Amino acid sequence: MNSLSLIKQLIALVIVGGAAFLIGYGVNITYFYDRTPEQPIEFSHKIHAGDNKIPCKYCHLYVERSRVAGVPNVQRCMGCHKIIKTDSPLIQKLTSYWDKKEPIPWVKVHNLPDYVHFTHKRHIKAGLDCSLCHGDVASMSRITRVASLKMGWCLSCHEKREVKNGKDCWTCHK
Amino acid sequence: MKRRDFLKFIGVGAAGGAAGFIIGKVSKPPGAKLIPYVVPDENIIPGVANYYSSLCTLCSAGCGIHARVMEGRVKKIEGNPLHPVNKGRLCALGQAMPQVTYNPDRIKGPLKRRGAKGTGDYVDITWEEAITIISKNLSDIAKSGSADGLYLLTPPQRGNLGALIDSFLTAYGSSNHYQYELFGQRNLYFANHAAMGLANAPHYDIENAKYVLSFGADFTSTWMSPVHYSAAYGEMRQAGKGGRGALVQVEPRLSLTGANADEWVPAKPGTEAILALAIAHAVVEKGWAKGGDLDGWRHVLAGYKPSVAADLTDVSEERIYAIARAFTHTRPSLAIGGDGVSSYQDGVSGLMAVNILNHLAGNNGATGGVIPNPEPAIKRDSAVDFKRRISTLAADAAKGKVKALIIYNSNPVFTTPVAAKLASVIRDAPFVVSMSSFLDETAVYADLILPMHTGLEDWGDDAPEPGVGTRVMTIMQPAITPYYNSKGAGDVFLGVAKQMGGRLSGLKANSFAEYLKDAWRTAYSKDRQMSASALTFDEFWEGALKRGGWWPKATVEARRQVTVSARSVSAHLAQMPARFEGKDTDYPFYLMLYPHSAHRDGRGANLPWLQELPDPMTSVVWGTWVEVNPKTAARLGLKEGDMAAIESPSGKITAPVYLYPGIRPDTVAVPIGQGHTQYGRYAARRGANPIEMLPHSEDARTGAIALNSTRVKLSGAGPSNMVKMEGSTKELGREIIQTAPPDGRSES
Repeated sequence: MNSLSLIKQLIALVIVGGAAFLIGYGVNITYFYDRTPEQPIEFSHKIHAGDNKIPCKYCHLYVERSRVAGVPNVQRCMGCHKIIKTDSPLIQKLTSYWDKKEPIPWVKVHNLPDYVHFTHKRHIKAGLDCSLCHGDVASMSRITRVASLKMGWCLSCHEKREVKNGKDCWTCHK
Repeated sequence: MKRRDFLKFIGVGAAGGAAGFIIGKVSKPPGAKLIPYVVPDENIIPGVANYYSSLCTLCSAGCGIHARVMEGRVKKIEGNPLHPVNKGRLCALGQAMPQVTYNPDRIKGPLKRRGAKGTGDYVDITWEEAITIISKNLSDIAKSGSADGLYLLTPPQRGNLGALIDSFLTAYGSSNHYQYELFGQRNLYFANHAAMGLANAPHYDIENAKYVLSFGADFTSTWMSPVHYSAAYGEMRQAGKGGRGALVQVEPRLSLTGANADEWVPAKPGTEAILALAIAHAVVEKGWAKGGDLDGWRHVLAGYKPSVAADLTDVSEERIYAIARAFTHTRPSLAIGGDGVSSYQDGVSGLMAVNILNHLAGNNGATGGVIPNPEPAIKRDSAVDFKRRISTLAADAAKGKVKALIIYNSNPVFTTPVAAKLASVIRDAPFVVSMSSFLDETAVYADLILPMHTGLEDWGDDAPEPGVGTRVMTIMQPAITPYYNSKGAGDVFLGVAKQMGGRLSGLKANSFAEYLKDAWRTAYSKDRQMSASALTFDEFWEGALKRGGWWPKATVEARRQVTVSARSVSAHLAQMPARFEGKDTDYPFYLMLYPHSAHRDGRGANLPWLQELPDPMTSVVWGTWVEVNPKTAARLGLKEGDMAAIESPSGKITAPVYLYPGIRPDTVAVPIGQGHTQYGRYAARRGANPIEMLPHSEDARTGAIALNSTRVKLSGAGPSNMVKMEGSTKELGREIIQTAPPDGRSES
């Protein structure tokens, strides 16, 4: 083997290796995401929404009025936990955020790209139940994402319910 | 391929893929965060916008705005559809308001000078320290018996901030409130006051005019109230209401407005006033004039025969008579004198000539003409103080009269010629306070820099100038809580007054917001039209805040007849073409300066949106250019994009050549706005400031700085990096621009 073809082969190997690296990276990012990320406080929806049957809208204040449901403000947590279960280490962690007047950096489970215009308000007004997209939150001790959030998933529901303009690109991409 | 090589590739591929997967796993960006409020703001629903009606503060037109605010951040500014000035429209400068507030170069807290003046070496101090330093200095000056040594330099103030500043100065014992703005229209105020007795700018009713004769007024781009006039011009051009109006633009360099005109009259620079008077002469001579005292007018206009003026102005005698005929026979007609004519050393004379034209055609006080504005609802110091001007400030400083200089929201070092020596005035003043949001060419000489709220963070009010023929008061209210540790100007003056006490103890308001509301309460109780509009003051105030101010429903009507007498104007007429410094043999070209459509007097240059915005006539971005007629350029051997040295008897700049057929071959033009040495990362060290090379010449009556006052010479200075967005201005034989003359107009 002469040196020229050796160099050629080396370049080809680098290209193949590099392409494979990018594919591997992409596959991981796209398909092996964490559906159940760890949260700064092990908050349990099972205890709140399940065992104690607190309605979703009690904490997710803005779901009927805004495109975002609204993650509860720290003051709202403290409204109950000034008194309830103050001996629990998790609640003490919450209290320490409150005392420092710092927000709790919750990790997003449902994250839509910027080019999707989704609004909670419309879906709630249409009478959909939260669990239709968010699953049986009342049984989850740590929130997990059950919906794919892919466009086909959105469209299949829009089609089934015969949503007006539900298949129009501009309904969601604007 | 050998089997061995194949396996090699498989191996490398698998290894690469696995490595990518693992690195993807390990380095996975942490999931996006959901940050809740600790304590929610009752007025905020995340994801839902709040809108606040307010005032655009970026130029003096006084447009009403709506600020769209989400989660406490301003996202978008649009025109307030209810506001009589801009009727929902807004220019590029106004649209860029959020970039002022969220500018990375904003001063973030009060600063005290540590190093030498001009070096920008400052240390952070608190607001309490800053107010104490000012109070102590002002107390010492007052104690030494030279309270009149406090000089205040601001743009013209029209609202209650101006009223507060004046009570402050009066109580302190100083009369030196300098109100300066480069395009402050001092000449226009003087001419209209001398000729018609008007203290405020009149309403130029372009909307209803059928023939507009504009002398260098770029009213669709920069002049006075461009958003209002652009909309009015659009209305005038619609064929409704009795047909499409015509626009004739007299200017040596074609502006955006000129490009929209039916006729362009490129009179020789400096002779526009003579041309206007020659038209007036033709009107009187042919018996087309309205109003009395024709003998008086004949006498005053005797020296401006069209046959003589034709030679001086480069406009043919026939054309002068044709314009005179169209101007008097098309009803209603309107003549406007803009920055083009008011920027000569004898700027008043051109505007006076325009007033004569309007008088002789019977346009004053008529619909579609010049309509005096009603008195504003809130009293303000409307009369322009022609005695206090840049040259008197410099003279007072040289005599040591200036003990303390407070500069608010003004950058005079940038907007005055180097020959005016304002930089040394400010550098040498014993105590200089700059109230500014940015470290600009003026603030850099200050001992103390007080960062100001922007228009989106502060309280204020305004009576638009020029008014729109009806009463309008606009309120400015904070759309967001202050982003940095800044204060409003009113609160600074109140803070100093509180700390100094004594003679200033009359200024008792706890905050400027309170002062403003009290002033409006007083106005409401005194003004019958205001008190009739709501049952209680609280109801009135709430409604005004929602709408963006107060303006009663009213139609524009001529309330007062205004006349111009031959005697009152005769002292102010041009005897000869305007003076230009430099001999024509050494400096062959007239230099015309005009405000850049977005940067204006330079204030917009620190906003990247505006830097990126192509100039409407040349499409040049991010820099200065010099407009040269293609014939002239060919004679000088200059190509488009060549750097040119532009030299006047007083200075020299360099700028890339832009070949511009819309300029006379004996004239070159440079936009004002770039060439900052300070003013943040987007503005500094970009382009050239043509004001630098002007002689310091003012109109003797008004103190307005003459921008068209020098001749220049041009020479090649190597290549440049001019960036323009257009491909070609030529149709390259494709015959894509076909024209047909409109009915009843000659093909010319």
